[in-house]
Amino acid sequence: MESFISLAIALLAAPLFPGIILKVKAFFAGKQGPPLLIKYYTLFKLLKKGSVYSNSTSFVFTLGPVISFASAVIVLFFFPFAGNAPIFSFHSDVIILFYIMGLGRFFTVIAALDTASPFEGMGAAREVFFSTIAELAIFTVLILFYRLTGSLSFSEYFIGETPISLVGVSGALIVFVVVSMFMVLLTENSRVPVDDPATHLELTMIHEVMILDHSGPDLAMIELGAFYKLYFYAAFVTHLIFPFVPANGPVMNTVIFLAIMAAVYATIGIVESIMARFKMNLVPKFIFTSFALVFFAAILTIGVIQ
Amino acid sequence: MDIFLLSLLIITIGGIFPLLSYRQFSLMKSGYIAITVAGCVIGLSAITAPLASSQIEHFSQSWLHFLSFNLTLDSLSAFFLVPIFAVCPLAALYSFKYFHKPEESLRTATNYLFFNLLIVTMALVATADNIFSFAIVWELMSLTSFFLVMYEYQKQETRKAGYIYFVFAQTGALCIFAAFALAYSQTGSLDFAAFASMPANMKYIVFLLALAGFGSKAGIFPLHIWLPHAHPAAPSNISAIMSGVMIKMGIYGIIRMFFVLGVDSVIFGQTVLTFGMISGILGIVYALGKQDLKKLLAYSSVENIGVILIGAGVGMMGIAHGNKVMAGFGFAGCLLHVLNHSIFKSLLFLGAGVVLHETGTKQIDQFGGLMKRMPTTGKTFLTGALSISGLPPFNGFISEFLIYYGAFQGLTLNATSAIFSSLAILSLALIGGLAVSCFTKVIGIVFLGEPRSEKATAAKEAGFAMTLPMIIMAATCLAIGLFPAPVVKMVMTALQSSSIPVPETSLVTEITGYLGFATRLFFIFIIVSLLLRKIFYRKKVVDSSTTWGCGFTKGTVRIQYTGTSYSGNVVEFFKPFLMLHTTYSGIKRIFPGKTTYETKVDDIAETTLLEYIISPFLYLLSKFRWIQHGHIQLYIAYIIITIIVLLMFI
Repeated sequence: MESFISLAIALLAAPLFPGIILKVKAFFAGKQGPPLLIKYYTLFKLLKKGSVYSNSTSFVFTLGPVISFASAVIVLFFFPFAGNAPIFSFHSDVIILFYIMGLGRFFTVIAALDTASPFEGMGAAREVFFSTIAELAIFTVLILFYRLTGSLSFSEYFIGETPISLVGVSGALIVFVVVSMFMVLLTENSRVPVDDPATHLELTMIHEVMILDHSGPDLAMIELGAFYKLYFYAAFVTHLIFPFVPANGPVMNTVIFLAIMAAVYATIGIVESIMARFKMNLVPKFIFTSFALVFFAAILTIGVIQ
Repeated sequence: MDIFLLSLLIITIGGIFPLLSYRQFSLMKSGYIAITVAGCVIGLSAITAPLASSQIEHFSQSWLHFLSFNLTLDSLSAFFLVPIFAVCPLAALYSFKYFHKPEESLRTATNYLFFNLLIVTMALVATADNIFSFAIVWELMSLTSFFLVMYEYQKQETRKAGYIYFVFAQTGALCIFAAFALAYSQTGSLDFAAFASMPANMKYIVFLLALAGFGSKAGIFPLHIWLPHAHPAAPSNISAIMSGVMIKMGIYGIIRMFFVLGVDSVIFGQTVLTFGMISGILGIVYALGKQDLKKLLAYSSVENIGVILIGAGVGMMGIAHGNKVMAGFGFAGCLLHVLNHSIFKSLLFLGAGVVLHETGTKQIDQFGGLMKRMPTTGKTFLTGALSISGLPPFNGFISEFLIYYGAFQGLTLNATSAIFSSLAILSLALIGGLAVSCFTKVIGIVFLGEPRSEKATAAKEAGFAMTLPMIIMAATCLAIGLFPAPVVKMVMTALQSSSIPVPETSLVTEITGYLGFATRLFFIFIIVSLLLRKIFYRKKVVDSSTTWGCGFTKGTVRIQYTGTSYSGNVVEFFKPFLMLHTTYSGIKRIFPGKTTYETKVDDIAETTLLEYIISPFLYLLSKFRWIQHGHIQLYIAYIIITIIVLLMFI
């Protein structure tokens, strides 16, 4: 039962949290900012509209939003939010899920190339390059986690016998993972300093420019998928920070979980407020830093345990 | 065994038939295809028994009293026969429309003959059981494929490619024969079974020689140089078979060698793994840098050979450590990827063949918008691209997953093996990411967007005979991806009866069950999302217009992103490993004239070979040119002197 409730919370609340980012940014800018529920309004507005399709596009263009949405949603079914067992879980599900997200990216990219727009091609080229490096960092995290827990599934990582967290036995190593996964979160979800979702010049965009030609419900699906993806990564970081043991009780766990989630989103907001976007040629270095951090941690475990 | 030999006989007859009937072009083609397909179906039925059980069949024919031609059909051989008998008939069917010029009837007939001889010799390579028989059929396989590459012999480029292939095939054979000779000198027996009795350090040398020899056939970096030359030169159905099936015979040789040597040292696995990682990463990087569609696919074969070798390396390390799960899953991933690659790579080459056939160009930057003009080819090619990128729910993912699973088991071993395992995992992740980058480029630039040339604008869908094989292959890719359990079980049985330690059946069933469940679940998610989209678009105004040009209103198709610029980031990142040449005329005057900009990616292995090995060698040999003077009397004197010198020694 708790599993379904936490999944329902994830599905419904994911568009709420990006509102926090906007509020934090508005606070730093000394503005009042848009309402907290702004993303819901946007989604409803988009769902009510029709669409305009480019003459250049084929069926791939309409398939892009659908598959990127499906690949973002399915991950939520496998993640133990707030320490509640996920709906589905089995050994080695992480590899499958990260590859499914790869499929989502594949379709987002080819949908962008389908428009025959040079700007979208540019965004697509950047997206595949940067996410390849981010994937390296993610798989290093998996290597490290396998060394620590001997498992390959989200539920075994976070609610198994030896849950991974900052306060656990190998907490020192998890510090690296927290920092690195936060950097991956920024990369994979196109946030500052990798990408600027609020920029107005298409040449400088990565993710936003790839979805320029999508409109109406298609765009709503992309946006909602993006919120789910961000929610998943934020939940990943949250679970690293705090161990959600069953002793706390499901209600308490959920409250703590949502509070830390809000803090993670607020941190994204702070990063966006105090940092500028990197120049494009510096972005790979930034992502490689996240890889180097966890790789260092993984090497430590290989040396220490034997 | 009798049925197996019967199928080979029928396939040979199928090859001879066109020579007799080449005056009737259509009759020749349909008769040929019918006989070949029948032969392959009989071949498939002959291998079902060895595949499903540990039944081993032998055949022996002695020759000249002391040499015997031995064949053995065990489950490992049977597994490698599956792609041969399953993919070749599809390529033959495809050739019905591909060879469309009646005036070249005799040449097509010859091509058919060599094609079927290639099928037969590949099948014999997979079953040959002693040094003698293996050496013969291996040579025959190289020679028949050489003639297939030379189909368009009047083009200089083709002749060059054929020559390069010939040199590599023969050098590789030289290494293999050296390995065999060394083994024979140690054991005194022609049987592969005797190899296990060699001393351990000798085994490693034999294995290295064999790895070099088989590796040059398989296309391991840096011995892959012939692939990007031979594949574009050969007709597309031939490249499909060479890349999809024939290079796997090199993999078969490596694995068979490993098994007959019966080694327990971890260094074999580490060697294979290292070569696998290098081939995998550099293969896909070069594929990204290439602008010729078939060259790109050839380099992507190098990458997939790398993935296969990573699997084999993981499995070998697992055997050395006595870790059944690691050994079983590593080898299972390796073998399954052999099968999978034979399907999707052939599919991609056939697709590329259709594109070439319809547009008459190979340059990626000349295409565009083909998805609308050739929908079936486009969709099947997209399926192939998704499969080769290792994405769920397609078959490439299943084999890569098994390799991942095996490699993760290796993380709990001692430090060296753990580091090798983590490098294997990271290279697989990197290869996966780069493959996505490479095949989004192919799909995006070739099939999507707007056509970049008139030829691409005029392209039309090919006939049913050409698209049907591709549809079958694409459907197989999806079917294996959604229902992996039976195929994985088949692979595990093949391994078990080759006395490879495999994990308990319950674990395999559990993992593949989950895997199949996840891919099917994801498939359902996609369908639900599609329905959701349908609901959202009920009674909505859907309009069409031009692409948003970001304020630029006079856009032409030439402003589209090109393949070169798309892959520019990644290629530049890997600069130390590839040679990126840029020629830019620059803008000189106030009113600039015509400016040119060109980038070219050169293969570092090829340039190194040319500069540091071939050129000095040629220089050295040129000093001995005075021996060749053209006086026949002196040549006879050479012979006599040689004989006299030899007589003194004997």
